[in-house]
Amino acid sequence: MSKKIFIIVGDNLGLSRKQIDYDALEIVKFPVFVGETEYRQSEEYNANWLISKYENEKVVAKSSTLIHNEIADVIERNRANYDLFIHVVMSSGLSAASFQAAENVRKQYEKIVPVINVDSRQAVNGVGSVLLGIIDLIKTNPDLSVDELEAACQQIVENTFSWFVLPDLNYLYKGGRIGKAQSLMGSVLHIIPLLGLMGDEKEGIVLAQGKARTFRQINDMIINQIKSKMQEKSVTTIKRAITLQGYGDKNKEVIAECMEKLKSLPCNEIIHGEGGLVDAVYCGPGAYGVSILL
Amino acid sequence: MNTNNADLDLLKETRMGFDQETINEIIDNIYHYLCKHKEYLNGLNVFPVPDGDTGLNMVLTLQGAIGQMKKNKKNYTHSGEYLEDFAEQMLLNSRGCSGVILSLFAQGFTQITANNDFSKENIYRAIENGYLNAYKGTENPREGTMLTLMRAFKEKYAELMHMHDNPLMIMQETIPYLKKVLDQTPDMLPVLKQAGVVDSGGAGFVIMLEGINKELSFYIDSGIPIQKLLKTGRSIQKLLKKRISEFHKNQSASSVLNFDISKIHNRRLAEVFQNAKILLGNLHLNHNGNGKTINREKIIEDLREIDNSWNPEIKEKFCTEFILETDQIKNKDDLKSKIANYGDSLIIVNTNNKYKVHIHTNKPNDLFEDMSCYGTLLFTKVDDMKKQHHNFISEDVVDYDRDKSIFCIVSGKGFADILKNLGADDILCYGKNKPSVNQLVKKLNELKAKNIMAAADDSDILMALKYAASLCKSNIYIVESDNPISLINILMSISKDYDIHTTFDTAMNNLENIRYCGIAQSSREVLAEDGSTVHKGDFFAVYEKKIVLANPSKEKLLIDVIEKIAANNSLVTFYKGAKVGNDEQLINQLEEKFPQLEFEKYYGGQFNYLYYITFE
Repeated sequence: MSKKIFIIVGDNLGLSRKQIDYDALEIVKFPVFVGETEYRQSEEYNANWLISKYENEKVVAKSSTLIHNEIADVIERNRANYDLFIHVVMSSGLSAASFQAAENVRKQYEKIVPVINVDSRQAVNGVGSVLLGIIDLIKTNPDLSVDELEAACQQIVENTFSWFVLPDLNYLYKGGRIGKAQSLMGSVLHIIPLLGLMGDEKEGIVLAQGKARTFRQINDMIINQIKSKMQEKSVTTIKRAITLQGYGDKNKEVIAECMEKLKSLPCNEIIHGEGGLVDAVYCGPGAYGVSILL
Repeated sequence: MNTNNADLDLLKETRMGFDQETINEIIDNIYHYLCKHKEYLNGLNVFPVPDGDTGLNMVLTLQGAIGQMKKNKKNYTHSGEYLEDFAEQMLLNSRGCSGVILSLFAQGFTQITANNDFSKENIYRAIENGYLNAYKGTENPREGTMLTLMRAFKEKYAELMHMHDNPLMIMQETIPYLKKVLDQTPDMLPVLKQAGVVDSGGAGFVIMLEGINKELSFYIDSGIPIQKLLKTGRSIQKLLKKRISEFHKNQSASSVLNFDISKIHNRRLAEVFQNAKILLGNLHLNHNGNGKTINREKIIEDLREIDNSWNPEIKEKFCTEFILETDQIKNKDDLKSKIANYGDSLIIVNTNNKYKVHIHTNKPNDLFEDMSCYGTLLFTKVDDMKKQHHNFISEDVVDYDRDKSIFCIVSGKGFADILKNLGADDILCYGKNKPSVNQLVKKLNELKAKNIMAAADDSDILMALKYAASLCKSNIYIVESDNPISLINILMSISKDYDIHTTFDTAMNNLENIRYCGIAQSSREVLAEDGSTVHKGDFFAVYEKKIVLANPSKEKLLIDVIEKIAANNSLVTFYKGAKVGNDEQLINQLEEKFPQLEFEKYYGGQFNYLYYITFE
C-alpha cells in the first residue's frame, strides 16, 4: 500500500501555494523583521511591499529562522492521517539554525512518526525546484521505502542548480548570506555579480559564479553555465526550470531577455516563480535568476 | 689562439693584466652615444604616441648594466670575462622588447668572447651566437626588426672577413650596408610602411654598432677567461686521467697551477680546484708525484659529481602528487600496475579507499585523466623539477607564503586600483618607465608564491617578463596580454577558487572578451589604416592594433568612434589617462548625444593613451 506523505516547506521557496500541485503540503512562514516589527507573508506584506520600502525608505530588513513550535504544530495536526513527513529545508549552509530547528522537530517525533529533513542546499526558487522534484518523485514512485525516498531526495538535491543576479549584494551581505560571493563586493569598477547555489557542492553556500559589466553578458553567462552543467551531468533536457523575478520594476527588460534566452534551452517545464516576502529580504530590487532540476 | 685544450690554455692568461677603468670608459661613451640618439629612436614608434620608448628602453638597459657593474666589487682578469658579466647585467636590467633583444645579442656575443679571444674569426662566431641567442629568445621572430639587422651584420661580416684581419675594420665596413638594410625594413614589415618609419629597434642596433666602432677603434684588448669553471673542471678531469709522465709535458697543467682560487665563489669547486692545483704542483715540483697525498681519483670523482649536480639529467620532469578516492582499485599493487609506466620514483600510501601517490612523470595531465576514470581525484599537485633544480643550484632559498598569486603589471595607478579591486593579488605599477628584468625578478621573488600567474599591460614587457620568469624561484605562468583591458578581462573571468592551471587557461581564453580602442594625440605625421594622413597634433583612435579614425578635434573623434565602433553595445566605458585634465563636459556631451548608451568613467592613469574606451 502506498505511503501517505505530508510535505512541509518554508515560504522562501520562490513559488506561491497555487503553483504547487500537491494537497498534503503546508508552507510555514518565515518571520521577517523590518526594524523591530515582525511581519509574515500576506496579501498586504509581500515582496513588492518590502522592495518599495527598500527603495523609498531605505529600511533594513532581516529574517529569522522557522520557529520550532510552528513546524511541530504542522506535524501534530496531521500525524494521525499521514505515514511520513518530508520537510524541505533551505540550505543548512545558509542557515544552520533553520536546519537545526527542523532536526529538533524530527527528533521530537522520532518514535511517533518518521520525518525526513531534506537539506535542499538551496534558497528561494531553488528550494521550490527541490520541492517540486520531490513531489514528482512521490507521485511516480509511491511505494518507495523511507530509506529509498531519502536517497532519492538526495539525488534531487544534487541535481538542482540555481543562478541569481543580485544587482546590490548589500542585501545578501546584511542578511549574513553572502558566503564566498563576498569577494565580488566593493569593486571600484561597476560589476554585476552572478551568484549560484550548486546542488552538487556539499557546503550549500552562495558561490561566485562570475562577474560581468552588462546584464546582457550576465544573461549569456547564465545560459552558458546551464549548458555546461547539462553537459557535465550528461543531461539533454532540463526537467524543470523555475525563474525568479519581479522584485520591483527595476531590470524588467533584462529579466525579460533572460527569460527569452531560457526558452531556447531544451526544458520540459518553465515555471515563472513568485518570490515571497522573505526572499525579497535578501534579493533586493531588480534581482532575478533561475533554478533548474536536471 | 690555440683552440685545442682551450679552457686550460685560457687559464694561463689569468696572469695577464686587465684595465677595468678603460673598458668602463669605453662602455660609458657608447652609452652616451646611444643617449644622443634616444629621441630619434623614440620617434620611430609605429603608433606616434608621444611616449614612444624604444630609445629610452635601450638607454635604460645600458644604464642599468653600467650602474650594476660599478657596484660590482669583483676583480676581473680580462675584458672577455668583464663583458660577459656586463651582458648578463644588461639582460637583468633590460626593458621593453628592444632592450631584451639587444641584451640577448650581447649575451650570445660575450659567451663566445668570454675566452678573451677577439680575433676576427672568434668575433664572427660571437656575432653568429649573438644573433642566434637573440633569435631563439624572441617569441615570433619577424623580418624587418632588429633581428634582421643582426642577421645582416653576421652575413656582411662573414663576406668581408677575407679583406681584413682587424675585426674592427670589418665591423666598420658593415655599417653602411646595415643602414641600407635598415631602410628596407618598411618593405619587410607592413606596419612600418604604414607608419612611414624604419624599425626603431633595428635603428638602435645600428646606432649601437656605430658607437662601438667609434670607441673601439683605439682598443684591442687581449686577456683570459675564468667563468667556465665547470668546463675547465671537465678539462682537468681529462688531464688527470692521463699518465703522470704526460703531466710534465702538458702546458695546460702548469696553467692550472696559476689559477687564482679566490675567484671561485662556489666552496666545493674551490676546494676541488685547490686539490687539483696541489696535486699538479706536487707532480711538477717533485717530478715523481710524491708530494702531499692528494687522491687523483677523488678529484676526478669530485669534479664529475659537481658537474652532474649542476647538469643533472632529469628524465621525468614533473614531481606529481595526487590523492585518489576509488572503489575500483583493489590495493596498492593494483594501482602500481596501472601507473608505473608513467614515470619513476613512485610512492603509494593507502588508507581505506584513498591512495596518496607520488611519482615523477612527464605526463601529469594524462596521468590525472587516466586516474579520474577510476575514482575521484581529491588533490593534485605538479612541480616542475627542472625549475626546482634551478632554484636549488642558485643557493637562494625562498620560503613560499602562499600557493598562488595573480600578479598584474600595469602602468596606470587607476588601473592598478581597479585590478586590485577585481581580485588581483599583487600589482606592480611601473608608471612611465617599463620595469627591468631585475625589477621583475625582485618583485616576483617578493611575492613568495609558489605559483604566479603574471600578466602585463604592454607587449613590450613580455620578453623581460619571460626572462625574469626563467630567473625566478616560483612557477610562473605568463599570460601574453598586451593592454590593461585584457587584464580586466582576465580578472572578470577567473575565480579565487580556481587552481593555477584553471586560472591560467581561463585567463588565456578570455583575453579579448571586451572590445576596446585607444585614443592618443599624434606626435608626428602618420598614415591611418585607410591611407589617410594623420597630422601631427591630430587625435587618433587605435582599434585592433590599427589607426582607424583620426580628427583634429578630440570631441569629434570620440563621437566618430562611438558611432562607428559602439554599435550594438549598451555600455561605453572611458578609462582616463594620466595626461587628461577635467573632461566632465566632454563626457556629458557624449551622454546627451548617445542617450541609448550608458557611459561610465574611471581613472586609468595610463601614459600611452589619453583614453582607453571599452564597448560592451
